[in-house]
Amino acid sequence: MARTTPTFTPVGKYALAILVSLSLLISDINYQTFSSIRGFVQAAGIYSELLIDSFTTKITKFNSIYEDKKELIKVNKDLQNALLKLQNKIFLEKKSQVLANDLINLYDETLDLSQGKEAPVFKIASFGLKNYLCCSSHSLYLKNPKKLKVAVNLPVTNGDTFIGQTSSLDLNLIKVILFSDSAHILPVKIKNFFCNARGAGRPLLITCKVYKSSEFLKIQNNDPVFTSGLGGIFPRNIPIGKVIKINNSIVNESEITITLDANPLESNYFGVLVN
Amino acid sequence: MKLSHHFIIFITIFAGFWVDELISQFNVREYIHLANNLPYLIETCIGFLIFCYWVYAMPEKLHSSAALMHGLIIDLCFGSAVGFHMLFFVSISYIIHVYVFRFRIFSYLQLIIFFGAASVFYLACKYLIFFPTNYSYLLLIFSFLINAGAWLPIYFGMRSFRRTFIK
Repeated sequence: MARTTPTFTPVGKYALAILVSLSLLISDINYQTFSSIRGFVQAAGIYSELLIDSFTTKITKFNSIYEDKKELIKVNKDLQNALLKLQNKIFLEKKSQVLANDLINLYDETLDLSQGKEAPVFKIASFGLKNYLCCSSHSLYLKNPKKLKVAVNLPVTNGDTFIGQTSSLDLNLIKVILFSDSAHILPVKIKNFFCNARGAGRPLLITCKVYKSSEFLKIQNNDPVFTSGLGGIFPRNIPIGKVIKINNSIVNESEITITLDANPLESNYFGVLVN
Repeated sequence: MKLSHHFIIFITIFAGFWVDELISQFNVREYIHLANNLPYLIETCIGFLIFCYWVYAMPEKLHSSAALMHGLIIDLCFGSAVGFHMLFFVSISYIIHVYVFRFRIFSYLQLIIFFGAASVFYLACKYLIFFPTNYSYLLLIFSFLINAGAWLPIYFGMRSFRRTFIK
């Protein structure tokens, strides 16, 4: 009796398919070969979600015409949105002023806000909640109805502080990489100590791996953490979080865990600091 | 097999991955205080199991090229890199093809264990390649239990679907 059952499995074709998929995988992981195509498909998916969403919203609105509280809900929603926009605008104006003071002689055409232009505040289009909760890839997409050409690597704020930076523009949706993404590195300052904080891959957490020094020894739990301005992307001295844990278990090296102040899940509007 | 049948199969796989996305957005840690500091605990692989079902049910109709195409589209829509689902779909398709007649004499328990283990292997590779900082054995153990438990409902559900739509 034969040990293996007869099948019609063409081994050569499977081997070829495995080779093809393996080479595609390696090239995409190492060189991001297909990142633009993936961005395009994901943005198209978000647009279709938005279309379905707007369609259902319209149906819901149609039903709510006959409800008594319709007007009240609308006013409430408008006020909430206006408040969020205002919050972002004020924050951006404040930060823009700081930047303008610092770099007044270097930029002639910088900062839309300082020139009285409209603050670029964007509504969220999609949040990668699955990856945000389970995995180390943390990003969100912002709607861009006016089709503004937003550059990459610009600071993104939720109205109180920064949450991340722009990463790409897919079909006019602005992709934002969050601080907690494990691929993101943010130069930070704690007291007089400077380090590069990498996203921990878990919500609201970033970590600094550092060699012990005299400045490092002054750091304690609950110390506020600020942007250092060293990366050239974020303005300096903006509070972004606080120290929650200092792990000294490794010889000559320590890990500082920082919790972020800004929770991206709590905002619907985000501002981009354009310069 | 007709192109429309391929399309129906793809729709079910796509729906499976979409359900996986929806389930994973439910954060159990928010509701259980003790679980607040635990890593992510459960990830379902319904889309992957649905693909396994189709190959298991119709091995003569789903070959490497179909696995490659389904994997490519899933990679573009849900994946972190092109090639990952292609590789896993082709691999699992090959394994099922080779042992398809043995699987027919397996008991339900043996099938549950095999497909649960296959989905956990898929998960482990996914985390090790894309999210190594989030890899945890606790996740794999819980996911094994959940995915193994999901096999029978998927098996019977998809069988009745197949008998209705693909004849």
